[in-house]
Amino acid sequence: MIQFEHVSKRYGERLALDDVSWRMNEGERVCVLGHSAAGKTTLLRLITHETQPTSGTIAIGTLRGGRLSRAHRALLRRTIGVIYEDFRLLGDRSVFENVALAVRIAGHFSDSDVIPRTLRALEEVGLHGKQAALPGELSFGERQRCAIARAIVNRPAILLADEPTGALEPRSASEVLALLGRIHQEGAAVLLGTTRPEVAEAFGGRRIVLEDGRLREGGTPEHAFMPVPAPQSFEAPHAAQAPPAPYTGGA
Amino acid sequence: MHLFFWREAWRSFQAHRGLALTTVFSLAAALALAAVFLLVSWNASQALHWIGDRREMIVYLNDEAGETQVQSLQAKIGELYGTSTYVSRAQAWEEFNTQVGDPEILKAVGTNPLPASLRVRLKPALQNFAAMSECAKQLEQFPEVEAVRFGGEWVQRLDALNAGARRTAIAVGLLVALAMVFVLHNTLRLAVLARRQQVEVMIKLGASDGFVATPFVFEALLETLAAVLVALALVFGLQQALAQRLDGVTFLPIEWTLSFVGGALVLAWLASVAALGRILRTVGA
Repeated sequence: MIQFEHVSKRYGERLALDDVSWRMNEGERVCVLGHSAAGKTTLLRLITHETQPTSGTIAIGTLRGGRLSRAHRALLRRTIGVIYEDFRLLGDRSVFENVALAVRIAGHFSDSDVIPRTLRALEEVGLHGKQAALPGELSFGERQRCAIARAIVNRPAILLADEPTGALEPRSASEVLALLGRIHQEGAAVLLGTTRPEVAEAFGGRRIVLEDGRLREGGTPEHAFMPVPAPQSFEAPHAAQAPPAPYTGGA
Repeated sequence: MHLFFWREAWRSFQAHRGLALTTVFSLAAALALAAVFLLVSWNASQALHWIGDRREMIVYLNDEAGETQVQSLQAKIGELYGTSTYVSRAQAWEEFNTQVGDPEILKAVGTNPLPASLRVRLKPALQNFAAMSECAKQLEQFPEVEAVRFGGEWVQRLDALNAGARRTAIAVGLLVALAMVFVLHNTLRLAVLARRQQVEVMIKLGASDGFVATPFVFEALLETLAAVLVALALVFGLQQALAQRLDGVTFLPIEWTLSFVGGALVLAWLASVAALGRILRTVGA
């Protein structure tokens, strides 16, 4: 589904990714763990074609290598859901409008399409009661759940989460991770980037470790992909008491 | 077109009222200039048309030309050049009498020296100096024809005036089009920058250029429509003021007005699509 072959990315003098090769299969759960500026965000940006590799080849589904046209980039991004650390919500629009925007971008304009899809996504993340609120009126955890609703509303095959718990306190972080876990269980491939080992532990799945732009321990996929046996809770006593609504994306 | 894009355009219009109003008034100034010129052109064309209607050619006939020959000539003229009216020697003398009005002078002339003639009202396509000269040359070849007169000098002036008006119309049109492109390009750049965060988020979510650009294009169309209405209102006021001082000054006919509005909107659409194609490439990867 996603394959990097000897990918390097250089920003001027700085080498952000150095000869990275790895792959991710359909429906997989993968965590990219690395310190700040290790190359995690660059890796995610390469997947969404927000930036181009300096060398090497990237294949996303049937799109392989090379610089995509603007139209193809847009098409690719419509098949990927992305969650950012800083949420990237539009402050002058309600929660409903933020999520509905993604539905419209996917080409659905009639209310009979937009409203049920949006409400369903909001229900899945436990925000159905806050659809009229502006992002500024929400807690950070709720904002991230709104961003997740926007990312999953079109049922993407791949969900990328770039430090999704970075701005959250532990309880909200647990809720978000539990939500991502459910989205994965419903069939979506989820790729999470984080600096925090405890988040990686809680998220579970296969793990890629990035250090200064290189895969750790020689950079071979076999060494870099460290499987974690089972998802664990992330300081989650509160999450167990008040879990978000179940993800029913595959239903 | 989806209502969503109009709502987005209206939302942007309201969110950046200052910028929107500046755009409307800048465009209105450029369009008012064009509309004033249109008003002048319209009234000038009406005057020229009136004068043009009076363009005629006088074909003087030989004294020997008989009635049958004249009728045959009239038929040929009718076929090739336009409608003709026969003026006999007696009618010509009567008209001359009326024009001169002084019997003493007429007594001094003695006998009627005026020839019979045909007054030819040319087909519209032949009402220019080059065509009229050629017609005159051809008509002079007919044996029944003594001479042909058509006031070549003033016809030439009239043609020059028409050509000048056309050239000025093109120049003013180009200037106004350039001004509109300039205003719209800068306004849209500012509008996109003011909503940069929104545009970037849309692009990250997979919005096509068309999806991102359409609300901006609609906003430009709304602003242009408002500007056209302001410009037409100003010109209507000007026409009303002029009509009180000059007879016959009329406002643009409905066809011209609708063409003006439609032309401005088409130009705004083309300019904004072209501008956004460039601007969006600088925002978001």
